[in-house]
Parts: sequence; structure tokens; C-alpha cells
Amino acid sequence: MTIYTLMKRKLLILTLTVSAILLGCSGDKESKPTPIQGGDNTAKTVTVGLLPKIKGIAYFSSCAEGAREAAAELGNIELIYDGPTDGDPKKQAEMIESWTVDGVDVIAVSPNAPDVVANAMKEAMAEGVQVITWDADAAADTRSYFVNQATAQSIGEGMVNVMIDDLGPDTEGDVVIISSDATSANQNSWIDVMKPAIENSNLNLATIKYPGENASQALADSQDVIKKYPNLIGLFGISSVSFPGAAEAVEQTGHSGKVLVTGLSTPNDMKKFVHSGTVRSVVLWNTVDLGYLTIYVAEALATGKFEKGATTFTAGRLGEKEIVGDNVLLGDILVFTKDNIDNYDF
Amino acid sequence: MTIRERLRKFRWWHELGLVILIISLLVAAGTLMPRFLDIKSQLLLSRHIWEMAILALGMTLIIITGGIDLSVGAAMGLCAVAFGMTFQYTGSLALSCVAAMLTGGLGGAVNGVLISKIKVHPLIVTLATYAAFRGIAEGLSQGVSYSQFGEAFSQIARGKWFGVPIPAYLFLALAVGFAVFLSKTPTGRFLYAIGHNERAARFSGIRVDRIKFWLYATSGMLAGLATVIYISRFNTAKADAGTGFELDVITAVVVGGTSIFGGRGNIAGTVLGLLLIHETRLFVGRYWQVDELKSIIIGALLIASILLYRILSPKKGRE
Amino acid sequence: MNLLNRLLREREYGLTAVILIIGASVAFIDTGFLAAGNLKDLIIRCAPTCIVACGVMLVVLTGEIDISVGSLMALLAALMGMMISETRMELSMWLGIPATLMLGTLVGAFTGALVTFGKVPSIIVTLGLLTALRGLTTLIMGGNNIDGLPDGLGQMTKYGVLGMPISVWTAIVVIIITGMIITQTALGRRLFAVGGSRYSAKMVGLSETRLKLFVFAYTGFLTGLATVVDIPRLPKIEAGIGIGFELLVITCVVVGGVSISGGRGKLRGVLLAVLLMTMIRPALTFMDVGESGEKWTRAIQGMFILLAVITDSIAQRRRQRRIHDH
Repeated sequence: MTIYTLMKRKLLILTLTVSAILLGCSGDKESKPTPIQGGDNTAKTVTVGLLPKIKGIAYFSSCAEGAREAAAELGNIELIYDGPTDGDPKKQAEMIESWTVDGVDVIAVSPNAPDVVANAMKEAMAEGVQVITWDADAAADTRSYFVNQATAQSIGEGMVNVMIDDLGPDTEGDVVIISSDATSANQNSWIDVMKPAIENSNLNLATIKYPGENASQALADSQDVIKKYPNLIGLFGISSVSFPGAAEAVEQTGHSGKVLVTGLSTPNDMKKFVHSGTVRSVVLWNTVDLGYLTIYVAEALATGKFEKGATTFTAGRLGEKEIVGDNVLLGDILVFTKDNIDNYDF
Repeated sequence: MTIRERLRKFRWWHELGLVILIISLLVAAGTLMPRFLDIKSQLLLSRHIWEMAILALGMTLIIITGGIDLSVGAAMGLCAVAFGMTFQYTGSLALSCVAAMLTGGLGGAVNGVLISKIKVHPLIVTLATYAAFRGIAEGLSQGVSYSQFGEAFSQIARGKWFGVPIPAYLFLALAVGFAVFLSKTPTGRFLYAIGHNERAARFSGIRVDRIKFWLYATSGMLAGLATVIYISRFNTAKADAGTGFELDVITAVVVGGTSIFGGRGNIAGTVLGLLLIHETRLFVGRYWQVDELKSIIIGALLIASILLYRILSPKKGRE
Repeated sequence: MNLLNRLLREREYGLTAVILIIGASVAFIDTGFLAAGNLKDLIIRCAPTCIVACGVMLVVLTGEIDISVGSLMALLAALMGMMISETRMELSMWLGIPATLMLGTLVGAFTGALVTFGKVPSIIVTLGLLTALRGLTTLIMGGNNIDGLPDGLGQMTKYGVLGMPISVWTAIVVIIITGMIITQTALGRRLFAVGGSRYSAKMVGLSETRLKLFVFAYTGFLTGLATVVDIPRLPKIEAGIGIGFELLVITCVVVGGVSISGGRGKLRGVLLAVLLMTMIRPALTFMDVGESGEKWTRAIQGMFILLAVITDSIAQRRRQRRIHDH
């Protein structure tokens, strides 16, 4: 075969590829979800971009569930739920920029690192996009409202208090925090609150482990600290990976009853450990309601229903929610125990 | 010259293929989503690629010599920490930028020495420094993030001259420089010789070790430069800067037609590869809004583009 | 100097020395490090890495590379969970596990086919799969974790039979089989021939294609095996399983003295490297490096890799110089 015919064939195949791509794309045109329209045709459709810290983990999936519920109820919402699957805050900023260009009406951000997304959020606001935060807050000048379920302060203190209560206030001994990466902004902000709280109690913080978002490593690190510190009485698992990992380690090393585990995770992930007694309390909030409330706030802001200076906000099935300053409050953190954990499914 | 002869002399088939792919992608994207082709938003969103693009220039040269640099992303973490710490102690942005570049250069030089003097395979050296650089960055900074570099500094990445983002000028200047170096200078041509047959290049008097050393040091310095833009874009200097960049950069270079075994490739191809990957990612992200799809499609694109090239290549079994 | 020479010359001696030194010095600080329970945990953690490293080592011996095993593990874990979890399809474990192993083998064979028939360099194929399979896993899991694996499987992987979890027994069997493949079979000799010099292998008329197909499929199978025997040990199956596993395995293979350009390497070295890489983190825990020291963990791991790589290269040069001298 001469080079010439090969070239011709090459061009032919390229053309085929190109048409295949074109066909493939246009074929998908029909399957693109159309916005959910309410009965009222005059109602303006509001596009809301809901940005989680990490897409693809159970915590945010349950938030998205609540958000979809609210969008269906309201009827005039086109909900976009997307976020970085690896939790890279840089990609969060890039998604905010893309959404701004594409004319999204409201962007609700759960910033994984507030500094990193700040510039993108400011730019979005300058372009007339309503920017709010949910789940975690950013600097006040980068968003209008924060749908607040818990501050770093209340999360950090909540975990330490639960541990002290469950152990008995006079109990003395070592505790260890199993975190995520050494660079995880959220976990580090909670640790900053937890350290003084632990210092002011009878507990002693032996060390902090950083297994990353790696389940095997979280399990291994927890096993090691259980063996290393004989006076260990408590483990804090402060990410949705390290909490189950720490609980599993306590069960596998046969320390259930001797080492108590607490932390942040969804009830569904922790049910089996609560029922086996390894974990007595799980600290979290109602994540489904959090997503639900966020969409209600977003809709009200976009349609001008949100009154400046109001002290309450009515959000569908949740009823009236308090507004303090620029924070819409979901309510206190929840503590799931043996008695109530089965009432929740998320 | 007959058409047939002209065709035989034509050396740009891969680039032509990439151009056709890019155009068809843009046509498809424009049909499905007319606002995708809006120049203003394209220019704005181009800021997602500049750091990667700068790294890809150094990576192209390295891969042409048959080497690889897996440590560029981790080096960015180290540079970011150097930048942040310098800023904390001196308060000078200029000094911080210099510190970032120097740190990058130093990291690259470590790679260079291990590869050219101690003769360890580049894949292994940079796999080791990949772990070491990121680890040192974490240890030195204790995971803290440095911020508040001021509004003026963020203009490096976010500002525009005549409607075009500032990093674009920087990248274009660098790209032209690298392209001229690669195609017009003797040292640039030596890179291909090294990639084809290192031993032969050595015997023919090319100072392979010295060239290799400077290539990796340059790659490190480019990482420092990319870090400055990265920090300016996000107003944050932290040990996790550039996470995962190494794989994206290698993907762009390889899609751009540079042979992973060395000896073939050019800057134009890399630029097209970057463009294809950037536009693909942008389109998938903006049209489907499903982040998972991006990695699936880019992974498939990488394999498919090389497979296609292999199948269509007139010279079979070149390795 | 004789001892030093020997330590440098033979990768296995060097690694053993380093492992003993670390073990002894950590035990000096805290004897708990050498407690039976801790050693057992260490062996359990080595098991999945050993299993997969056996496959990747063969791949590297043929001069190829596989950096997709971590993502493949996540995909297989997700598929296995979907098949056998009592909250999902509720298939029998005896159906789901062979299916998982088969899927692993298929993906491995697909990789091998792209490398051999498609003539795509293995680093590119597996780099593409590294990203694509991770995305696919996240997509099919849809943000929901999978739990409710059969109790029997959990018991066997956590506590096991005869005092050790099944992952350890599996690893032992895999190591023996791989060792026999390398030393006892014609296939093993071909491996070194192909990796050492493609040209000479072709001259003798060995089928490079079939060999490479085999090593990639074997690696896929072993990844499936590691998934089945190790993942049920974790509290739940999530999309993030196995992140960074590919680099750990490659590091172990390289630190174990397998030449990245193929043709040279010993299984013993790789196994020792797995032990070394696995013991660094617990060693630091037992040394009680403190809160700020914890953040240096990754740097220390990186330094160990760097050190191993440099000493290997220096040793190799010494060896070559000796050959020249004689």
C-alpha cells in the first residue's frame, strides 16, 4: 500500500470519527433534562447551581436529595447539582466561573476552601448572580446569605461535648483525632476549636492522624493508635471516611466498650456501629433538610421574595426558620443515638 | 512537485488531525450550545488552562528526550509553600515570586542530578520526588494556607490587556521561545537525537547529561512560574497546589502527538493537545454538568487518540 | 567494606537491613511495635499490596507498566458490592465473587490487547484507564455508599480462618504461584527474555504478544482477588477506594529492585519492599512523632523511596565497574 492511499484512508477515518462525535452529541440532545415547570406559565424559571465540596459522597448526595425535593415542590427551579468528584477546591472555583458565564441565576456554594473560591464568587456577584453559601461559610463579602446548619465552633465543641458526656465528665484518659488530609481546610478549622476544648477537659489529646480520604489508611491508623496508647479512651473521626474507619478499627481490635468513637458522618453509615455500641453518639444535622432549605432560600432570593431585614423565613415543610444577620439558620446540630438513629434515612 | 510528492513530504498529519478534531468539537458544541462559542466567555474561562499549559512546554521537551517528569504537580506544592513563607517573613511579593521560581528550579535540579549524574530512570526519580516534594511542602507549612496577597497581585492571573488574559501573553511568548529553541537551534535538535537513541547521541558528542540536567531544572522553574499564576488566580498558597497536574499535563502532551518513547513531537502539537483537552473538558462540564464524565471522556480520548494514530500511521512498528 | 559492598550489591540484603534497623529502633522506643498483634496487623496490611504487586512485577519485567490498579480496584469493589450486597442485587456470594474476578481479568486482558494489538504504550493505556475507571466508578455509584455485604465474607476478611484473614492466605498462595511462574516455567524465562532484550526474544521465536496479554490479564485477575479478600474488611464500599494504590504498588516494585526497563528483578525484593513501605507509617505512630511530626509523614515516606532509588543505582554502577575490572 502506498503512503498516498494510507493518507486518504486516514482522512476518511478522521471524517468518520468527526461525524460519529457529531452524531453522538446530537443524539444526546433529547436526553438532556428539561427544567421542571410548574403549572403557572408566567412564573420565571430560576436556575440554581448547587455546588457541594465533593460530589459522589453520601453526605452531599443526601443534601442533593433534599434539594431535588424542594425543586420539585417549588416547580420553577432548574436545579444543577455538580461538583468536583475529588474535592479539589480549585475545580469548585472553575465551576463557579463556568456557571456565571452560562447565566445561572443563583449559585449556592459549600466552599471546601473559602479563600480559593473567593475571587470566583466575587466575580459572579459582580455579574449579577445571587451567590449564597450553604453547609460551610465563606468571607461575608463573597456571598449574600449563608444557609447555616452549624458553625465550625458548634461542630468542634459539639463533638468534644458529646465525647465528654458519653464518657462521663470525670473520666480521664487519652483521645486521638483521626482527620482527613493535613491540608483539609474544614477539618483543620474544627481541630482549631477542638484543641482548646479538649485541653479544658480531663481528656488529653495524644496525637492527630492524617490518613487522607483513604478508608484503608483510616482503618490502619486507628488500629495503630489503639495499640500505641494504652490509656486511649476516645477516638474522634472527623470526616465521613475516618469516622467509620475508626469505629471499624475499634471493633476489629476488640476494644469495643473500652475505646469510644464519635465524630461526623451520615446516620446510614454509622447505624451498625451505634447498634453494636462502639459508637454512642453521631454528631450531624439533617442534611436532607439542609439541601431543601438552601433551594428555598435560593428561589426566594432570585424571585425577590426574600425580604431584607426579615427575622424569619418560611421554607415549605420546614416551616419558619430564624434569620440572624445574614445567616439563615437550619437549627441546632443533631446528635444521633441508639434511640433515634433509625428514624433517619440519609 | 506533484501532489503526490507534496503529500509525501507533508509532516503535519497529526496536527491536522487535531485541528479537525478541535473544529468538529467546536462545531458540535456550538450547535448544541450556541453560547459556548462566545469569545468573551471563552477568553475568561481560558484561565483554567494556563498553569497546565506552561508546564506542558517543559514536559514536551522532556518527553521528546524519552524522559518524563511526574513531579511537576508536587513541585508546585513546594513552590507555593516557598512563596507563602517568603511572603510571611518579608511581605514582598516580588521576593516571593523569586523564591517560588528558585524553589522550583532547585527541585528540578535535584531531579536533573539524579537522572543525569546518578543515572536513575526519570520515571523512578520523579515518582520518588513526587512523594517527597509534596511531603516536604506539607511538613514545612504544617498544612497551613497562606492568603491575602492583595487585589493587585490577583491581576496577574485575572487581569486582561486588550481583552486578552495576561497569562496568555506569557504563555505565547514562552511557547514561541520553546518552539524556536526546539526546531531552530542545534541543542533543540539534539533533544530528538537523544530521544531516538541516547547512546548514539552520546557517541556523536552531544552533551546528553548537561542537556538533561537543564531540561529538568527548566521544568522545575516552569513549575515555579505556574505556581505564581496559580497563587494569583486563587489568592491562596498551600501545600496542595497543583494536585493531579502531572497526569493532566502528560495527557495533553501525548494527545498532542509527542511520542512517550521520545524522538517525536513538537510545541505546536502540544498547544493543540492542550486546546483539545481544555475545550473538551469545558464543553462536557458546561453541557452535561456531570464532573465524572470529564475524567471518563479525557481518559478515553487519550487512549483513542494514540490508538487511532497507531492504526493510521504509515510507518508501522516504529518502536 | 565487604559487608557494605554486599549490602549495596544485593537489593534483598539492603532492604532486610533497613527493615531490621527500623524495627529495632522503633522497638527501642516502644516495645509494643514488635507485639504479636501489631505484627499480625502489619502482615494483613501487606496482603493486598503483595497480591497486586505480584502481577505488576511481571508486567514491569516485560518492560511495560500498569498504573491503573487503584482505579480498577475501586470499580471492581463497586461492582462486587452492587452484585452481592443485601441492599442491592443480593446475588449469591459464590456467583458475585467469581464474576468480580472475571471482570478484573477482562479489564486486564483489554489493557493487554490495547498494548499488544493496538500498539498503544502501556503507560498511556493505563494512565487513560486510571482517570476513566475512577470517573466510571463515581458515576455508577451515584454518590451512595454500599454496605450490607454478606456476614460470612466480612468474618473471613476481618478475622479469617486459622488465625489469619483470608487475604493473608490468598497472598501466600499468590506469592507461591508467582514465584513458580518466574522460576519453574518456560513462561517465566520468557518474561526475562522479553524484558531484557526484545530483539533477542524475537529471534528465539517467543510470542511477545501472548506473554504480555497474560501478564496484564494476570494483574487484572489479582486486582480482583485483592478486592475480594481485602475490601470487605472496610466499613463500607465507596468511590474513593484505592486512591494512590497504583503508585504504592509501582513504588514497591521499583524499590524492590525490579528494573523499570524490564528484564531484571526478584520477587523477594518486591515483597520486602512492600513490608518496608507498609511499616513506615505505623513505625512513625509508635515513635510518637507528635502532632507537627505527623505532617512530615509523607515527606519521610518520600525520602525513603528516594534513598532506595539512589542506593540501587549506585550499587548497580559498582556492579558494572566490577565487571569492567575483571
